[in-house]
Amino acid sequence: MEGGARRHTFMLPGKLRTCPSITCQILPFFPCSARLQGSLGLWKMYGEGFKQKVSFLIPECGLLPEVLKSTIADIGDYYLVRSLPIHELVAHEFIDAFVKKGSCYALTYKTKIDQDNTAALLPNGKLILSVDKDTYEELGLQGRPSRYSGKKVMRYIITIDLTDAGFHPESKKHNRVLWALKEKKPLEFDFLMAWYNTGAEGSTLMSYFSKHQIQALRPKITFSTLRDLPCPVLQSNDLQGKPEESCSTEELFEWLGAVLNQVSLDNKSSSFLSTYCCPEPNTVVEKAFLCTITGFIIPEKIIQLLEQLCCYFGEPKLAYWLTLTVHGFADSPVSWRESEHGFHKGGENLYNFVIFRNLDYWLQMAVGAHDDCPP
Amino acid sequence: MAGFADLNLPQGADKKSLQSLLEAAAHLGYSAVALNHVIDFKEKKQEIIKPVPPSELFPSLPIVQGTSKRIKVLTRLTLVVSDPSHCNLLRSTSANIRLYDIIAVFPKTEKLFHIACTTLDVDLVCINVTEKLPFYFRRPPVNMAIDRGIYFELLYTPAIKDSTMRRYTISNAISLMQICKGKNIVISSAAERPLELRGPYDVANLGLLFGLSEGEAKAAVSTNCRATMLHGETRKSACGVVYTVKKPRKVEEEETAVPACKKAKTQA
Repeated sequence: MEGGARRHTFMLPGKLRTCPSITCQILPFFPCSARLQGSLGLWKMYGEGFKQKVSFLIPECGLLPEVLKSTIADIGDYYLVRSLPIHELVAHEFIDAFVKKGSCYALTYKTKIDQDNTAALLPNGKLILSVDKDTYEELGLQGRPSRYSGKKVMRYIITIDLTDAGFHPESKKHNRVLWALKEKKPLEFDFLMAWYNTGAEGSTLMSYFSKHQIQALRPKITFSTLRDLPCPVLQSNDLQGKPEESCSTEELFEWLGAVLNQVSLDNKSSSFLSTYCCPEPNTVVEKAFLCTITGFIIPEKIIQLLEQLCCYFGEPKLAYWLTLTVHGFADSPVSWRESEHGFHKGGENLYNFVIFRNLDYWLQMAVGAHDDCPP
Repeated sequence: MAGFADLNLPQGADKKSLQSLLEAAAHLGYSAVALNHVIDFKEKKQEIIKPVPPSELFPSLPIVQGTSKRIKVLTRLTLVVSDPSHCNLLRSTSANIRLYDIIAVFPKTEKLFHIACTTLDVDLVCINVTEKLPFYFRRPPVNMAIDRGIYFELLYTPAIKDSTMRRYTISNAISLMQICKGKNIVISSAAERPLELRGPYDVANLGLLFGLSEGEAKAAVSTNCRATMLHGETRKSACGVVYTVKKPRKVEEEETAVPACKKAKTQA
């Protein structure tokens, strides 16, 4: 897996296809909801994990529709718990109250995946600990060496399934794990947590962790309207782009990165920072709407946002396409589903949906050097 | 992977400049640094003084960027030897030497390089990067040093300052790589000012220029530094390092507790 900071970009046009070859598929014209089922099924496969930043760009749009505004406002809070000992996440009260009812997400805050110990709780009930050699030997729990560790293993991954039938309060497994995490090597981290429950009543995270320093935080949302933005011309059935007619997927990816990072696209002679220009052919749109949400965002909310964005083209609009980009945490121990995520020179794991007016879509994914290729 | 460390920060007299160096290192992401005290025997007789504990020098250590831990500060002694008689200091059981966490030697001749790799009780052997190497590296002493757990140190700050030294740095490093094949290398700065420090990922990229592979280059700033620090600790003990913690109450017997995962397999 070592060959420079390799960026894998996979283009998946149209329907559910698992091979990353560039075979183009034009979707037959289905109404919005039926198309959504297909795309959401695909999304649910890849859409797990912890998301740090979501941004979407809608060309030719000055004001956000009310439906989208309410979806964004409904994103929900996440919590920052300071100095939480990890054995609290293994306690049965916690498992019964949160893990078994709904999806509970937790990720250690301010820990680097290639230097420190990290922990993550996935919604399927698995607690993943990514620990360095010393901690692994002190803990005494069984794990496996990290895939990105090389000959001299310096990092180990321990997976504990909290919803396992054999993990009930009196079992030896549970006692061993609790002993290791509570007495043998007590580990304490700051956690970012979120809980998505399907409407069931019960205590909230805030009340459960009231003894620790818990803080409710809202994701940071910024809206901006970009004026006179050159946008590339895209054809949904043409991934490679034709010289005078449309741009390729790689060009779109680069352009989108430049726009989201507010890099100026003028190529002015006085600018020393960037000589990047919008790829040809392009059209200058009068206004484009850019929204960025930063925080600890759970996939369920992103799916709701994606559904609403798909329905944006339900009414006739000037724009030909819009994009939704989702970034994962650079220091998370898992990226896609439960595949291990490492940080070699960069820890990016992000994907980008491009949704067209005719409800075709492109899905681009980028991973770093120490990452698994998505299936 | 271990935390990033910079094992060579020259210990100047000025406390304020040291503090700013430490803050720069913490901001760049280094979890540990070593303050280097250099003894050059060519000058008039110098005494090895006791190292000042970092807790006295710095009342509060800066927090490493991106984590919630404070930077760790170690003490290091470098002996610049140009004559075999200078090595006697290391062989003698001087009390002050033992107080340093890491001991490094900077040999100036081939014979001394051989002695340093094979017999001297040190953690690091410094490689000259500021001038053309007066001797060629040979495989036997280098391999012996690797077996003994001694690491070779390369500096990168002279390369930042001057282009001639940049050439020497790269050529000396490449000739070392041809012999040691990228093993047991530590890259550190000898930064006197915060501007001369570079981030750990940038230093790992610099390692690629020296002929290291990607994994080896990152290890040169993280894993190998950790190994050097542990090697320094073993010098204070007889043969190895085992951390023990006295438990206040008795522990239940361990022989009967089968690891949880193995038990589940037999049950299933």
